[in-house]
Amino acid sequence: MKNTANKPENEKGPYETARNCRHYAMCKIDFLGSGVCESGLEKHFVSYYPQGRMILYEALAEKKISITEKCVEIADSCNLCGKCDYQCYFLNEMRPTKVMEALKKHVGTFIANGGKVKPAKDDKILSEIKKIVGDNWATNDEAILITYSHDLSPISEPKTPDYVVMPYTKEEIASLVKLFNKNKIPYTLRGNGQNLLGFAINEGAIIDVNRMKTIEFDEKNWLAKVGPGVAAFDLQKQARERGFRINASEPAALLCANIMCSGIMSTFSTTYGINADNFIDAEFIDKEGSFFSLNDTSSPNLYSYKNLQHKSSPGICVSASIKLHPVTNDESGILVPFQTLDSALDFIKDCSVRHIGLALGIVGTEYISVFLSPTKKSAAEVKDIFLNKLGIPYLVVVIGDKFAIRTISEMGFPFFDQRLFNALYLGLPSLKSAEWLNLIKELSDDEPYSYLRIKSFADLLETALAPSPALYSQEIDPELRPFFEKLFSREEMTNLVWLNMNRIMSTKLGRRKPFLPVLIYLPIDNVLVNELNDKFRLIADKYQIDNDFGFITPIDNGKRCIFEYDYFFDHTNPEEINRIRQAATEVNILVDEYSKKTGTVKGHPYVLYQGFSRKENLLYS
Amino acid sequence: MIFEKKPTIALSGATGFLGSHLMASMLSEGYRLVVLGRSYKEETLKQRISKLLQWFGIEELVGQLELVEIDFLKPMLGIPEEEYKNLCTNTEQIIHCASDTSFSERKRDLVFKSNVNSLEGILEFAANAGVTFFHYISTAYVAGANVTVCKECLSSSADFLNVYEESKAMAENIIAAFCKKNFIPFTVIRPSVVYGDSHTGRSLRFNALYFPIQSVKYISEIYLNDIKNNAGKKSKQYGIFLDEEGFLFLPLRIFLPKEGALNIIPVDYFVNATMKIIANPSPGGIYHLTNNSLTKLEMVSVYNEQFMKIKGVEIIYGRSADNVLRNPAEELFDRFIEPYRSYLSDNRVFERTNTDLVTDNLQPPEFTYEIYKNCMKYAISVNWGQSIF
Ligand SMILES: Cc1cc2nc3c(=O)[nH]c(=O)nc-3n(C[C@H](O)[C@H](O)[C@H](O)COP(=O)(O)OP(=O)(O)OC[C@H]3O[C@@H](n4cnc5c(N)ncnc54)[C@H](O)[C@@H]3O)c2cc1C
Ligand code: SF4
Repeated sequence: MKNTANKPENEKGPYETARNCRHYAMCKIDFLGSGVCESGLEKHFVSYYPQGRMILYEALAEKKISITEKCVEIADSCNLCGKCDYQCYFLNEMRPTKVMEALKKHVGTFIANGGKVKPAKDDKILSEIKKIVGDNWATNDEAILITYSHDLSPISEPKTPDYVVMPYTKEEIASLVKLFNKNKIPYTLRGNGQNLLGFAINEGAIIDVNRMKTIEFDEKNWLAKVGPGVAAFDLQKQARERGFRINASEPAALLCANIMCSGIMSTFSTTYGINADNFIDAEFIDKEGSFFSLNDTSSPNLYSYKNLQHKSSPGICVSASIKLHPVTNDESGILVPFQTLDSALDFIKDCSVRHIGLALGIVGTEYISVFLSPTKKSAAEVKDIFLNKLGIPYLVVVIGDKFAIRTISEMGFPFFDQRLFNALYLGLPSLKSAEWLNLIKELSDDEPYSYLRIKSFADLLETALAPSPALYSQEIDPELRPFFEKLFSREEMTNLVWLNMNRIMSTKLGRRKPFLPVLIYLPIDNVLVNELNDKFRLIADKYQIDNDFGFITPIDNGKRCIFEYDYFFDHTNPEEINRIRQAATEVNILVDEYSKKTGTVKGHPYVLYQGFSRKENLLYS
Repeated sequence: MIFEKKPTIALSGATGFLGSHLMASMLSEGYRLVVLGRSYKEETLKQRISKLLQWFGIEELVGQLELVEIDFLKPMLGIPEEEYKNLCTNTEQIIHCASDTSFSERKRDLVFKSNVNSLEGILEFAANAGVTFFHYISTAYVAGANVTVCKECLSSSADFLNVYEESKAMAENIIAAFCKKNFIPFTVIRPSVVYGDSHTGRSLRFNALYFPIQSVKYISEIYLNDIKNNAGKKSKQYGIFLDEEGFLFLPLRIFLPKEGALNIIPVDYFVNATMKIIANPSPGGIYHLTNNSLTKLEMVSVYNEQFMKIKGVEIIYGRSADNVLRNPAEELFDRFIEPYRSYLSDNRVFERTNTDLVTDNLQPPEFTYEIYKNCMKYAISVNWGQSIF
């Protein structure tokens, strides 16, 4: 295999683009307001979404599968509308339509040359499954199976399932469970498959819950009951239209899957909490195919927490009543710069202990520069500006009402408010050539970031950078530029509250390379955090793995925090995958050591399948 | 002809602005130098010095320059005993030029660590080496904020403009006391604000005099860009425009606390005068390397107008900017010059009796447009120090 990750995007052929699909399922949600692939919405299997077509094309190019009936249907059902180009370019600077065209051409040429399309295999079990879910919603066609066979996790091995099934009701799931049990067929639930660790991949049957998208609001009781196919972004959108907010993690993550897998966590977890804080009740199907609700007195205790790495799934979550939170009309976002991790930690600790701000998170320069930049190339330049010209290695994102923001100002911390953030974001191309930044650095010598105290600094920044959607879009592929100019004229695209409550800011993190997050829960103890931060870095450096500080969010009144450190790897380079595996093993040993030594550090692998536990059981027992 | 053998001198601070110029001059005059310094960031002392020598155009140095990586805060300068002993044996004089020149109160601890706490190590070294002279490069501003006539004697002031002045005054007193107690002849050399070479305009540091000029230039560029690329939308709001002759009209009032002027000397004068002092020092001698010909900021502003094609800069004395409604350019400029404000309109007078005597009345030049132009051209060519090396 050739290593292709470092090639410029516009030089990558369709195969290389296909291989670089991040499998984050962002093409399944309408996060840019530009619409979602129509065939995907109609057929629901991931195979009919851009992500699935990319995986399919990759497999065809590698001659892993033959051209099947579904393969032809998948290729035909793309109308080359180009919606996925917008989404994928925003996230990864890639244009999937190149792949779609190549897929159509590949299949078209095959048929034109008299190639024989492989029909689906007859299968008794499949017939039984179809009796439960209907003909259209179960398949053993290779073209579909392959799109469920792997993700980019460097740890897991690809596995091709025998069936993919898309039930519509919980009763169908119960019947499926019984059928699979009877026939000793292993089954695995799949949400959007973006857990980063290969958990939704298996042999046997994959139960894809993406048709189960019911949402019922019960405003009196501050909850929304969702089916297992509802993505965080979609619920958030509806919640906001009704004046509420949910705690959403990755926008494309399905809520039930997320709670099931690791528990929902975001910067809003500072106020809204983690794990069991996020829901009121949930309904399950157990291993025998029977139903139970969390609130039943006889139900298994999923609120408990066990420090076990390979806990098995407690069942299938078929609905969850997600908590709704109130929203005030004076919320805004700010970015508070810090010269050291220590000072940023002191700040978030102070804020969370005093209940200042709704959402808090320390982010590093990689995170912020990747998000702000339209291309990978400019992300590297922007990172350098943040570090070396603005002297900002760490930023704390704060979302709060006007009282919280005023308090932070009174606490004496200078910050980038929404207006300055807009100017920085949409003025980014001018920032790179701004010589006056050299003076800004000198100013900070006396008092860090004192330039932010200049009353008319926003005016000056706007004058100097002349921010505008047109300026920002300058670096974007000319064919897509008109779309992006319009996109960035929309207020929400630069609105810190919107970007954070939908967790759009972190979706670009894997742009340069896919990443493996090292996630832990621990006290906001500066010595401990710094020690672990250094050790995570040293391990990555030892294995020559790109790495960076991810984020830290305080939880539970500042008693603990969530700390993510990211390891970036080239998934097309087997040798690098080997190295990151070794690094990951070493990290797990390190975290175990610290768990024992401190009694307070909890590694994320232990939280998997325990997202329903009470945070108190997880953090303090 | 009889050549007088030049003494071997240990020089600290050779990687700094003044120290490096002294190093270059002393090497070309045939002194043997032992440079005491540190590696910084990723660079070893050797790499730092060789970059500087290249900048000065100095190549062949057979046995004339030795580099020793030391730490003033450690016993025996942090080097092995044998090496320390050799260093003591070989060193005849010391020039202590290393200094933290930050004015920032926030950096008080660091400034005092560099400028005061580190003295113990180098003074002990002076005593162990039994040097014939200890020369200390200080600043003319140790006299304190409220003195009008600054004498060539030790300062007893308790009132300084910033932590740098305070630390240097304290350092002078410590050095004098130690040297007297240990019978080490010493001198204190006190330059005022030093800028680049008066003939070539070349410099290695671009603060003090340069900073306000650079600020005006950058601010003007912000508005020129707005006029060029954004139809001057923002500029118009503040009455900023490009006139027919291509001059940018930038209303910029500079508020200075009192009437006064800049006391600036070029680095070539600093070097020449210091070399004369070192060649013929008086024990306990304190020397002011200052300029009797002061530079008014109005003059600099006129130079700016001609050089940068900027009009509208106005200097206002005796008023604080605090309660004045300022335009964004004025507010930014005010922040930029804050650390240097007092030096822009200084009216302290410096005695030069010792200096004039030992330097044969060598005087620094007046800051003419020609000098200004050379200096600014060089500053711009190296992007105000960003791209020197
Ligand atoms: C770029 C990126 C950033 C991320 N950042 C965050 C973050 O900030 N916060 C956070 O919380 N997570 C984060 N994640 C992880 C991700 O959001 C969660 O792992 C989430 O569970 C993935 O949702 P999914 O629908 O893709 O689940 P899948 O990957 O499909 O499934 C996850 C697991 O749950 C099981 N499962 C799925 N549905 C059900 C069900 N109904 N019943 C029982 N089991 C089920 C699957 O078998 C699998 O084991 C991030 C992921 C990515 C790619
Ligand atoms: S181009 Fe094809 S794959 Fe992409 S969104 Fe449109 S229909 Fe879907």
